[in-house]
Amino acid sequence: MNKTYNFAFFDEGSKREIRRATLKAIAIPGYQVPFASREMPIGRGWGTGGLQLTLSLIGKDDVLKVIDQGSDESVNAVNIKKLVSDTTGVRTTESTADASLIQSRHRVPEVPLQRDQILILQVPLPEPLRNFEPSEQETKKLHAEREYSGAWLMLFEQIMKYGIMATDADHPVMVHDRYVMAPSPIPRFDNAKLDDSEALILLGAGREKKVYALPPYTNVSSLAFDDYAFEIESFTNHACILCGSNDLFLDELVDGESGETYFQCNDTSNCLEMVNQKQISGVK
Amino acid sequence: MNLDVVHDIQTVYRKLVTATSRPGTLVVLEREAKTLGVQIECLSSTILLARTVLDPEVTFKVIAKEEEAVSRMINQLTYSKPVELPEADFIFILHDASEEQLKEALNHAKVGNLLNPHESAMIILEVPDVTKGDSMILSGPGIQQESIITLPNATSWLGARNEKNREFPLGIDMYFVDQQDRLIALPRTTQIKGNGGEIIWDMLQ
Ligand SMILES: [Zn+2]
Repeated sequence: MNKTYNFAFFDEGSKREIRRATLKAIAIPGYQVPFASREMPIGRGWGTGGLQLTLSLIGKDDVLKVIDQGSDESVNAVNIKKLVSDTTGVRTTESTADASLIQSRHRVPEVPLQRDQILILQVPLPEPLRNFEPSEQETKKLHAEREYSGAWLMLFEQIMKYGIMATDADHPVMVHDRYVMAPSPIPRFDNAKLDDSEALILLGAGREKKVYALPPYTNVSSLAFDDYAFEIESFTNHACILCGSNDLFLDELVDGESGETYFQCNDTSNCLEMVNQKQISGVK
Repeated sequence: MNLDVVHDIQTVYRKLVTATSRPGTLVVLEREAKTLGVQIECLSSTILLARTVLDPEVTFKVIAKEEEAVSRMINQLTYSKPVELPEADFIFILHDASEEQLKEALNHAKVGNLLNPHESAMIILEVPDVTKGDSMILSGPGIQQESIITLPNATSWLGARNEKNREFPLGIDMYFVDQQDRLIALPRTTQIKGNGGEIIWDMLQ
Protein backbone atom coordinates (compact mmCIF):
# COMPACT_ATOMS: atom_id res chain seq x y z
CA MET A 1 0.00 0.00 0.00
CA ASN A 2 1.38 3.35 -1.06
CA LYS A 3 1.56 5.59 2.01
CA THR A 4 2.09 8.84 0.14
CA TYR A 5 -1.57 8.84 -0.92
CA ASN A 6 -4.66 9.35 1.20
CA PHE A 7 -6.62 6.18 1.89
CA ALA A 8 -8.65 5.66 -1.28
CA PHE A 9 -6.67 8.42 -2.99
CA PHE A 10 -9.07 11.27 -2.20
CA ASP A 11 -9.02 13.72 0.66
CA GLU A 12 -12.05 13.40 2.95
CA GLY A 13 -13.67 16.58 1.58
CA SER A 14 -13.78 15.14 -1.93
CA LYS A 15 -15.30 11.93 -0.62
CA ARG A 16 -17.92 13.82 1.39
CA GLU A 17 -19.02 15.75 -1.67
CA ILE A 18 -19.60 12.67 -3.80
CA ARG A 19 -21.12 10.82 -0.83
CA ARG A 20 -23.74 13.54 -0.35
CA ALA A 21 -24.55 13.41 -4.06
CA THR A 22 -24.81 9.62 -3.94
CA LEU A 23 -27.26 9.61 -1.02
CA LYS A 24 -29.45 12.06 -2.94
CA ALA A 25 -29.15 9.93 -6.07
CA ILE A 26 -30.39 6.85 -4.18
CA ALA A 27 -33.31 8.86 -2.79
CA ILE A 28 -34.30 10.05 -6.31
CA PRO A 29 -33.88 6.96 -8.53
CA GLY A 30 -32.82 7.72 -12.10
CA TYR A 31 -32.25 11.44 -11.50
CA GLN A 32 -28.80 12.75 -12.41
CA VAL A 33 -27.29 14.51 -9.39
CA PRO A 34 -24.48 16.94 -10.24
CA PHE A 35 -21.22 16.67 -8.32
CA ALA A 36 -17.80 18.32 -8.44
CA SER A 37 -15.88 15.68 -10.37
CA ARG A 38 -12.22 15.54 -9.38
CA GLU A 39 -9.12 15.23 -11.53
CA MET A 40 -7.92 11.63 -11.59
CA PRO A 41 -4.56 10.13 -12.47
CA ILE A 42 -6.11 8.11 -15.28
CA GLY A 43 -7.17 9.28 -18.71
CA ARG A 44 -10.59 10.79 -19.28
CA GLY A 45 -13.05 8.30 -20.63
CA TRP A 46 -11.33 5.58 -18.61
CA GLY A 47 -14.11 5.57 -16.12
CA THR A 48 -13.27 8.39 -13.76
CA GLY A 49 -16.93 8.68 -12.73
CA GLY A 50 -17.10 5.04 -11.72
CA LEU A 51 -13.70 5.25 -10.09
CA GLN A 52 -14.72 8.25 -8.00
CA LEU A 53 -17.79 6.37 -6.80
CA THR A 54 -15.67 3.34 -5.95
CA LEU A 55 -13.15 5.43 -4.01
CA SER A 56 -15.89 7.22 -2.06
CA LEU A 57 -17.46 3.88 -1.07
CA ILE A 58 -14.55 1.57 -0.44
CA GLY A 59 -13.38 0.48 3.01
CA LYS A 60 -10.72 -1.85 4.37
CA ASP A 61 -13.04 -4.88 4.39
CA ASP A 62 -14.22 -4.56 0.80
CA VAL A 63 -13.32 -6.97 -1.98
CA LEU A 64 -13.15 -5.29 -5.37
CA LYS A 65 -13.80 -6.59 -8.86
CA VAL A 66 -13.23 -4.39 -11.91
CA ILE A 67 -14.38 -5.42 -15.37
CA ASP A 68 -14.08 -3.70 -18.70
CA GLN A 69 -16.52 -4.97 -21.34
CA GLY A 70 -16.72 -8.30 -19.55
CA SER A 71 -13.00 -8.73 -19.01
CA ASP A 72 -11.08 -8.54 -15.73
CA GLU A 73 -7.77 -8.44 -17.55
CA SER A 74 -8.06 -5.48 -19.88
CA VAL A 75 -5.46 -2.74 -19.36
CA ASN A 76 -8.20 -0.41 -18.23
CA ALA A 77 -9.57 -2.77 -15.58
CA VAL A 78 -6.09 -3.67 -14.36
CA ASN A 79 -5.06 0.00 -14.02
CA ILE A 80 -8.18 0.88 -12.05
CA LYS A 81 -7.75 -2.15 -9.79
CA LYS A 82 -4.12 -1.22 -9.20
CA LEU A 83 -4.89 2.40 -8.33
CA VAL A 84 -7.59 1.34 -5.85
CA SER A 85 -5.62 -1.47 -4.22
CA ASP A 86 -2.41 0.63 -4.07
CA THR A 87 -4.22 3.36 -2.16
CA THR A 88 -6.43 1.15 0.03
CA GLY A 89 -4.77 -2.24 0.37
CA VAL A 90 -8.07 -3.97 -0.36
CA ARG A 91 -8.22 -7.42 -1.90
CA THR A 92 -9.27 -7.70 -5.51
CA THR A 93 -11.03 -10.63 -7.12
CA GLU A 94 -12.17 -11.88 -10.50
CA SER A 95 -15.07 -13.83 -9.02
CA THR A 96 -18.33 -11.87 -9.14
CA ALA A 97 -19.72 -13.77 -6.15
CA ASP A 98 -16.70 -12.88 -3.98
CA ALA A 99 -16.82 -9.15 -4.62
CA SER A 100 -18.51 -6.58 -2.39
CA LEU A 101 -17.91 -3.76 -4.88
CA ILE A 102 -18.01 -4.37 -8.63
CA GLN A 103 -16.94 -1.58 -10.93
CA SER A 104 -17.86 -2.26 -14.52
CA ARG A 105 -17.72 -0.66 -17.93
CA HIS A 106 -20.30 -1.70 -20.51
CA ARG A 107 -21.60 -4.89 -18.80
CA VAL A 108 -23.70 -6.12 -15.91
CA PRO A 109 -22.10 -9.41 -14.77
CA GLU A 110 -23.85 -12.64 -15.74
CA VAL A 111 -23.74 -14.00 -12.18
CA PRO A 112 -26.85 -12.60 -10.43
CA LEU A 113 -25.93 -9.82 -8.02
CA GLN A 114 -26.53 -10.27 -4.29
CA ARG A 115 -27.99 -7.87 -1.76
CA ASP A 116 -24.65 -7.23 -0.03
CA GLN A 117 -23.02 -6.11 -3.28
CA ILE A 118 -22.89 -2.74 -5.00
CA LEU A 119 -22.49 -2.49 -8.77
CA ILE A 120 -20.81 0.68 -10.02
CA LEU A 121 -21.26 1.39 -13.72
CA GLN A 122 -18.98 3.76 -15.61
CA VAL A 123 -20.94 6.22 -17.71
CA PRO A 124 -19.53 8.18 -20.66
CA LEU A 125 -22.77 10.03 -21.55
CA PRO A 126 -25.33 10.24 -18.73
CA GLU A 127 -27.96 12.25 -20.61
CA PRO A 128 -30.39 9.98 -22.54
CA LEU A 129 -31.98 13.01 -24.24
CA ARG A 130 -28.70 14.48 -25.52
CA ASN A 131 -29.07 12.91 -28.98
CA PHE A 132 -31.83 15.31 -29.91
CA GLU A 133 -31.32 18.12 -27.39
CA PRO A 134 -27.79 19.56 -27.11
CA SER A 135 -28.55 22.01 -24.29
CA GLU A 136 -28.13 20.81 -20.70
CA GLN A 137 -30.55 23.48 -19.52
CA GLU A 138 -33.18 22.17 -21.93
CA THR A 139 -32.73 18.49 -21.06
CA LYS A 140 -33.00 19.37 -17.37
CA LYS A 141 -36.28 21.09 -18.18
CA LEU A 142 -37.54 18.06 -20.11
CA HIS A 143 -36.75 15.78 -17.15
CA ALA A 144 -38.38 18.26 -14.76
CA GLU A 145 -41.57 18.24 -16.82
CA ARG A 146 -41.38 14.51 -17.52
CA GLU A 147 -41.54 15.52 -21.17
CA TYR A 148 -40.21 12.44 -22.92
CA SER A 149 -42.00 12.58 -26.27
CA GLY A 150 -38.64 13.42 -27.89
CA ALA A 151 -37.09 10.24 -26.52
CA TRP A 152 -39.97 8.17 -27.90
CA LEU A 153 -39.80 9.96 -31.24
CA MET A 154 -36.08 9.22 -31.50
CA LEU A 155 -36.75 5.49 -31.01
CA PHE A 156 -39.66 5.58 -33.40
CA GLU A 157 -37.55 7.22 -36.12
CA GLN A 158 -34.97 4.47 -35.73
CA ILE A 159 -37.67 1.85 -36.18
CA MET A 160 -38.97 3.61 -39.30
CA LYS A 161 -35.46 3.76 -40.70
CA TYR A 162 -34.16 0.31 -39.78
CA GLY A 163 -37.31 -1.69 -39.11
CA ILE A 164 -36.05 -2.50 -35.62
CA MET A 165 -34.85 -0.62 -32.58
CA ALA A 166 -31.33 0.21 -33.64
CA THR A 167 -29.84 1.01 -30.26
CA ASP A 168 -27.23 -1.70 -29.79
CA ALA A 169 -26.24 -0.47 -26.34
CA ASP A 170 -27.32 2.19 -23.85
CA HIS A 171 -30.98 1.66 -24.72
CA PRO A 172 -32.88 4.15 -22.52
CA VAL A 173 -34.92 2.94 -19.56
CA MET A 174 -37.78 4.38 -17.52
CA VAL A 175 -37.01 4.35 -13.80
CA HIS A 176 -39.70 4.20 -11.08
CA ASP A 177 -42.16 5.46 -13.69
CA ARG A 178 -40.57 8.91 -13.47
CA TYR A 179 -37.16 9.43 -15.07
CA VAL A 180 -35.82 8.30 -18.43
CA MET A 181 -32.26 7.19 -17.75
CA ALA A 182 -29.19 6.15 -19.76
CA PRO A 183 -28.18 2.73 -18.41
CA SER A 184 -24.61 3.29 -19.72
CA PRO A 185 -23.46 1.41 -22.86
CA ILE A 186 -24.48 -2.05 -21.64
CA PRO A 187 -25.98 -4.34 -24.31
CA ARG A 188 -29.79 -4.53 -24.42
CA PHE A 189 -29.27 -8.06 -23.09
CA ASP A 190 -28.31 -6.54 -19.71
CA ASN A 191 -31.20 -4.09 -19.36
CA ALA A 192 -33.43 -6.66 -17.67
CA LYS A 193 -30.82 -7.16 -14.94
CA LEU A 194 -31.41 -3.57 -13.82
CA ASP A 195 -35.07 -4.18 -13.08
CA ASP A 196 -35.90 -5.25 -9.54
CA SER A 197 -32.18 -5.85 -8.83
CA GLU A 198 -31.08 -7.42 -5.55
CA ALA A 199 -28.07 -5.11 -5.43
CA LEU A 200 -27.79 -1.33 -5.36
CA ILE A 201 -26.56 0.00 -8.72
CA LEU A 202 -24.71 3.32 -8.88
CA LEU A 203 -23.76 5.08 -12.10
CA GLY A 204 -21.02 7.70 -12.38
CA ALA A 205 -20.07 10.05 -15.20
CA GLY A 206 -16.75 11.83 -14.53
CA ARG A 207 -16.54 14.16 -17.48
CA GLU A 208 -20.20 15.16 -17.25
CA LYS A 209 -20.03 15.34 -13.43
CA LYS A 210 -23.17 13.34 -12.68
CA VAL A 211 -24.05 10.45 -10.40
CA TYR A 212 -27.31 8.56 -10.46
CA ALA A 213 -28.66 5.41 -8.89
CA LEU A 214 -30.98 2.46 -9.06
CA PRO A 215 -31.88 1.27 -5.56
CA PRO A 216 -32.64 -2.45 -5.25
CA TYR A 217 -36.20 -3.53 -6.12
CA THR A 218 -36.78 -0.53 -8.34
CA ASN A 219 -38.94 -0.72 -11.41
CA VAL A 220 -36.76 -0.29 -14.50
CA SER A 221 -38.26 -0.83 -17.95
CA SER A 222 -36.71 -0.44 -21.39
CA LEU A 223 -38.47 2.08 -23.59
CA ALA A 224 -40.52 0.23 -26.21
CA PHE A 225 -43.71 0.38 -28.25
CA ASP A 226 -46.71 -1.94 -28.19
CA ASP A 227 -46.18 -2.97 -31.79
CA TYR A 228 -42.36 -2.81 -31.65
CA ALA A 229 -41.42 -4.65 -28.50
CA PHE A 230 -38.04 -4.28 -26.88
CA GLU A 231 -35.85 -7.15 -28.02
CA ILE A 232 -32.53 -8.27 -26.66
CA GLU A 233 -29.61 -9.52 -28.68
CA SER A 234 -30.25 -13.20 -29.34
CA PHE A 235 -27.63 -15.91 -29.51
CA THR A 236 -29.98 -18.88 -29.44
CA ASN A 237 -28.43 -20.51 -32.50
CA HIS A 238 -24.95 -20.14 -31.06
CA ALA A 239 -23.10 -21.36 -28.01
CA CYS A 240 -19.89 -20.34 -26.29
CA ILE A 241 -16.98 -22.30 -27.75
CA LEU A 242 -15.45 -22.67 -24.25
CA CYS A 243 -18.31 -23.35 -21.83
CA GLY A 244 -21.19 -24.15 -24.18
CA SER A 245 -23.57 -21.52 -22.80
CA ASN A 246 -26.26 -20.35 -25.18
CA ASP A 247 -28.24 -18.13 -22.83
CA LEU A 248 -25.53 -15.56 -22.03
CA PHE A 249 -24.15 -12.54 -23.87
CA LEU A 250 -21.68 -13.80 -26.49
CA ASP A 251 -19.02 -12.06 -28.55
CA GLU A 252 -18.71 -13.03 -32.19
CA LEU A 253 -15.05 -13.62 -32.97
CA VAL A 254 -13.08 -14.58 -36.07
CA ASP A 255 -10.44 -17.27 -36.00
CA GLY A 256 -7.25 -15.69 -37.34
CA GLU A 257 -6.06 -18.81 -39.17
CA SER A 258 -9.20 -20.45 -40.52
CA GLY A 259 -11.18 -17.22 -40.92
CA GLU A 260 -14.22 -18.93 -39.38
CA THR A 261 -16.45 -17.13 -36.94
CA TYR A 262 -17.12 -18.50 -33.49
CA PHE A 263 -18.82 -17.34 -30.31
CA GLN A 264 -17.43 -16.87 -26.84
CA CYS A 265 -18.81 -15.52 -23.55
CA ASN A 266 -18.26 -11.80 -23.10
CA ASP A 267 -18.15 -12.25 -19.29
CA THR A 268 -14.83 -14.11 -19.18
CA SER A 269 -14.60 -14.79 -15.43
CA ASN A 270 -18.06 -16.37 -15.39
CA CYS A 271 -17.13 -18.45 -18.46
CA LEU A 272 -14.01 -19.73 -16.73
CA GLU A 273 -16.03 -20.68 -13.64
CA MET A 274 -18.50 -22.57 -15.83
CA VAL A 275 -15.67 -24.43 -17.56
CA ASN A 276 -14.13 -25.35 -14.20
CA GLN A 277 -17.47 -26.54 -12.82
CA LYS A 278 -17.93 -28.79 -15.83
CA GLN A 279 -14.49 -30.29 -15.39
CA ILE A 280 -15.17 -30.99 -11.71
CA SER A 281 -18.52 -32.65 -12.40
CA GLY A 282 -16.94 -34.54 -15.31
CA VAL A 283 -14.37 -36.09 -12.96
CA LYS A 284 -17.01 -37.57 -10.64
CA MET B 1 -10.44 4.34 20.68
CA ASN B 2 -10.97 7.76 19.15
CA LEU B 3 -13.04 8.28 16.03
CA ASP B 4 -10.97 7.55 12.94
CA VAL B 5 -12.16 10.24 10.55
CA VAL B 6 -11.25 8.14 7.52
CA HIS B 7 -12.20 4.56 8.37
CA ASP B 8 -14.99 5.02 10.92
CA ILE B 9 -16.66 7.68 8.78
CA GLN B 10 -16.40 5.34 5.79
CA THR B 11 -18.29 2.60 7.63
CA VAL B 12 -20.91 5.11 8.81
CA TYR B 13 -21.34 6.24 5.20
CA ARG B 14 -21.75 2.69 3.93
CA LYS B 15 -24.44 2.09 6.54
CA LEU B 16 -26.18 5.26 5.36
CA VAL B 17 -26.00 3.89 1.81
CA THR B 18 -27.56 0.62 2.98
CA ALA B 19 -30.25 2.40 4.98
CA THR B 20 -31.14 4.79 2.14
CA SER B 21 -31.19 2.12 -0.55
CA ARG B 22 -33.24 -0.25 1.65
CA PRO B 23 -35.77 1.97 3.45
CA GLY B 24 -36.92 0.61 6.79
CA THR B 25 -33.82 -1.56 7.20
CA LEU B 26 -32.21 -1.15 10.60
CA VAL B 27 -28.48 -0.38 10.59
CA VAL B 28 -26.35 -0.25 13.74
CA LEU B 29 -23.77 2.47 14.40
CA GLU B 30 -22.80 1.15 17.84
CA ARG B 31 -19.15 0.43 17.05
CA GLU B 32 -18.54 3.87 15.56
CA ALA B 33 -20.56 5.57 18.33
CA LYS B 34 -18.31 4.04 21.00
CA THR B 35 -15.33 5.93 19.56
CA LEU B 36 -16.96 9.21 20.53
CA GLY B 37 -17.20 8.80 24.29
CA VAL B 38 -20.14 10.18 26.22
CA GLN B 39 -22.25 12.78 24.45
CA ILE B 40 -24.29 15.17 26.50
CA GLU B 41 -26.20 17.42 24.15
CA CYS B 42 -27.24 14.98 21.46
CA LEU B 43 -27.05 11.32 20.48
CA SER B 44 -23.76 9.85 19.31
CA SER B 45 -25.35 8.84 16.01
CA THR B 46 -26.29 12.46 15.38
CA ILE B 47 -22.63 13.46 15.70
CA LEU B 48 -21.56 10.59 13.45
CA LEU B 49 -24.01 11.66 10.76
CA ALA B 50 -22.97 15.29 11.06
CA ARG B 51 -19.32 14.35 10.65
CA THR B 52 -20.11 12.15 7.64
CA VAL B 53 -22.08 14.67 5.59
CA LEU B 54 -21.32 18.18 6.85
CA ASP B 55 -18.52 20.55 5.82
CA PRO B 56 -18.22 24.23 4.83
CA GLU B 57 -19.93 23.53 1.49
CA VAL B 58 -23.31 22.78 3.11
CA THR B 59 -25.56 24.24 5.80
CA PHE B 60 -27.52 22.92 8.77
CA LYS B 61 -30.12 23.79 11.38
CA VAL B 62 -30.55 22.31 14.85
CA ILE B 63 -33.95 22.05 16.54
CA ALA B 64 -33.43 21.47 20.27
CA LYS B 65 -33.74 23.04 23.69
CA GLU B 66 -30.01 23.75 23.63
CA GLU B 67 -29.98 24.76 19.99
CA GLU B 68 -27.18 27.29 20.33
CA ALA B 69 -24.79 24.98 22.15
CA VAL B 70 -25.39 22.07 19.78
CA SER B 71 -25.09 24.31 16.71
CA ARG B 72 -21.81 25.65 17.99
CA MET B 73 -20.49 22.16 18.63
CA ILE B 74 -21.48 20.91 15.16
CA ASN B 75 -19.98 24.01 13.59
CA GLN B 76 -16.72 23.46 15.44
CA LEU B 77 -16.58 19.80 14.42
CA THR B 78 -17.47 20.28 10.75
CA TYR B 79 -17.06 24.00 9.87
CA SER B 80 -20.55 23.81 8.42
CA LYS B 81 -22.68 26.92 8.89
CA PRO B 82 -25.96 27.01 10.84
CA VAL B 83 -28.75 28.74 8.87
CA GLU B 84 -32.52 29.24 9.07
CA LEU B 85 -34.84 26.29 8.40
CA PRO B 86 -35.88 27.04 4.79
CA GLU B 87 -32.23 27.19 3.66
CA ALA B 88 -30.85 24.26 5.64
CA ASP B 89 -29.39 21.32 3.70
CA PHE B 90 -29.44 19.21 6.88
CA ILE B 91 -31.89 19.56 9.76
CA PHE B 92 -31.09 17.89 13.08
CA ILE B 93 -34.18 17.51 15.25
CA LEU B 94 -33.06 16.38 18.68
CA HIS B 95 -34.94 14.27 21.20
CA ASP B 96 -35.96 17.25 23.33
CA ALA B 97 -37.63 19.16 20.48
CA SER B 98 -41.34 19.65 21.09
CA GLU B 99 -43.95 18.14 18.80
CA GLU B 100 -44.74 21.63 17.59
CA GLN B 101 -41.11 22.35 16.78
CA LEU B 102 -40.83 19.05 14.94
CA LYS B 103 -43.86 19.79 12.80
CA GLU B 104 -42.66 23.32 12.13
CA ALA B 105 -39.23 22.05 11.09
CA LEU B 106 -40.71 19.57 8.63
CA ASN B 107 -43.13 22.16 7.27
CA HIS B 108 -40.31 24.61 6.55
CA ALA B 109 -37.76 22.10 5.24
CA LYS B 110 -36.84 22.65 1.61
CA VAL B 111 -38.02 20.06 -0.91
CA GLY B 112 -35.99 21.17 -3.95
CA ASN B 113 -37.62 22.13 -7.24
CA LEU B 114 -38.45 20.13 -10.37
CA LEU B 115 -35.20 21.20 -12.08
CA ASN B 116 -33.11 20.44 -8.98
CA PRO B 117 -34.97 18.03 -6.68
CA HIS B 118 -31.65 17.22 -4.97
CA GLU B 119 -31.61 20.71 -3.46
CA SER B 120 -33.75 19.43 -0.62
CA ALA B 121 -33.24 18.88 3.09
CA MET B 122 -32.06 15.72 4.78
CA ILE B 123 -33.78 15.38 8.16
CA ILE B 124 -32.04 13.65 11.08
CA LEU B 125 -34.57 12.92 13.80
CA GLU B 126 -33.63 11.63 17.26
CA VAL B 127 -36.15 9.18 18.69
CA PRO B 128 -36.12 6.99 21.84
CA ASP B 129 -36.22 3.64 20.01
CA VAL B 130 -36.44 2.96 16.27
CA THR B 131 -38.07 -0.43 16.90
CA LYS B 132 -40.99 0.68 19.08
CA GLY B 133 -44.08 2.71 18.44
CA ASP B 134 -46.56 2.83 15.61
CA SER B 135 -46.65 -0.02 13.14
CA MET B 136 -46.51 0.99 9.49
CA ILE B 137 -46.31 -0.66 6.09
CA LEU B 138 -43.63 0.53 3.69
CA SER B 139 -43.44 0.14 -0.06
CA GLY B 140 -41.46 1.71 -2.90
CA PRO B 141 -37.94 1.51 -4.35
CA GLY B 142 -35.54 -0.47 -2.17
CA ILE B 143 -38.35 -2.54 -0.65
CA GLN B 144 -39.30 -5.96 -1.95
CA GLN B 145 -43.11 -5.86 -2.08
CA GLU B 146 -43.81 -4.45 1.39
CA SER B 147 -42.15 -4.32 4.77
CA ILE B 148 -43.51 -3.58 8.22
CA ILE B 149 -41.65 -1.42 10.73
CA THR B 150 -42.51 0.44 13.90
CA LEU B 151 -41.34 3.97 14.63
CA PRO B 152 -42.17 6.23 17.57
CA ASN B 153 -44.63 9.11 17.62
CA ALA B 154 -45.79 8.79 14.03
CA THR B 155 -48.62 11.23 14.74
CA SER B 156 -46.08 14.01 15.21
CA TRP B 157 -44.18 13.59 11.93
CA LEU B 158 -45.96 11.31 9.47
CA GLY B 159 -48.58 13.81 8.35
CA ALA B 160 -46.06 16.58 7.69
CA ARG B 161 -43.70 14.10 6.03
CA ASN B 162 -46.36 12.77 3.67
CA GLU B 163 -47.42 16.29 2.82
CA LYS B 164 -43.84 17.27 1.93
CA ASN B 165 -43.39 14.20 -0.26
CA ARG B 166 -46.67 14.45 -2.16
CA GLU B 167 -45.08 15.59 -5.40
CA PHE B 168 -42.19 13.25 -6.21
CA PRO B 169 -39.35 13.96 -7.06
CA LEU B 170 -39.71 16.85 -4.62
CA GLY B 171 -39.42 15.90 -0.99
CA ILE B 172 -37.42 15.31 2.16
CA ASP B 173 -35.39 12.26 3.17
CA MET B 174 -35.69 11.28 6.83
CA TYR B 175 -33.16 9.46 9.00
CA PHE B 176 -34.26 8.23 12.43
CA VAL B 177 -31.55 7.62 15.05
CA ASP B 178 -31.98 6.28 18.57
CA GLN B 179 -30.21 5.93 21.91
CA GLN B 180 -28.94 2.45 21.01
CA ASP B 181 -27.10 3.90 18.00
CA ARG B 182 -29.48 2.38 15.49
CA LEU B 183 -30.68 4.08 12.32
CA ILE B 184 -33.56 3.74 9.88
CA ALA B 185 -34.02 5.81 6.73
CA LEU B 186 -37.23 6.79 4.99
CA PRO B 187 -36.28 8.53 1.75
CA ARG B 188 -38.91 10.46 -0.18
CA THR B 189 -39.78 7.49 -2.41
CA THR B 190 -41.10 5.38 0.45
CA GLN B 191 -44.88 5.06 0.64
CA ILE B 192 -46.17 4.65 4.20
CA LYS B 193 -49.50 3.20 5.23
CA GLY B 194 -50.77 2.70 8.75
CA ASN B 195 -50.75 -0.98 9.71
CA GLY B 196 -54.19 -1.75 11.10
CA GLY B 197 -55.15 1.88 10.95
CA GLU B 198 -54.05 2.83 14.45
CA ILE B 199 -51.96 5.79 13.31
CA ILE B 200 -53.96 8.97 13.17
CA TRP B 201 -52.10 11.81 11.62
CA ASP B 202 -53.10 15.24 10.48
CA MET B 203 -54.75 14.73 7.17
CA LEU B 204 -54.31 17.88 5.18
CA GLN B 205 -56.21 16.80 2.12
ZN1 LIG C 1 -18.49 -19.37 -22.03
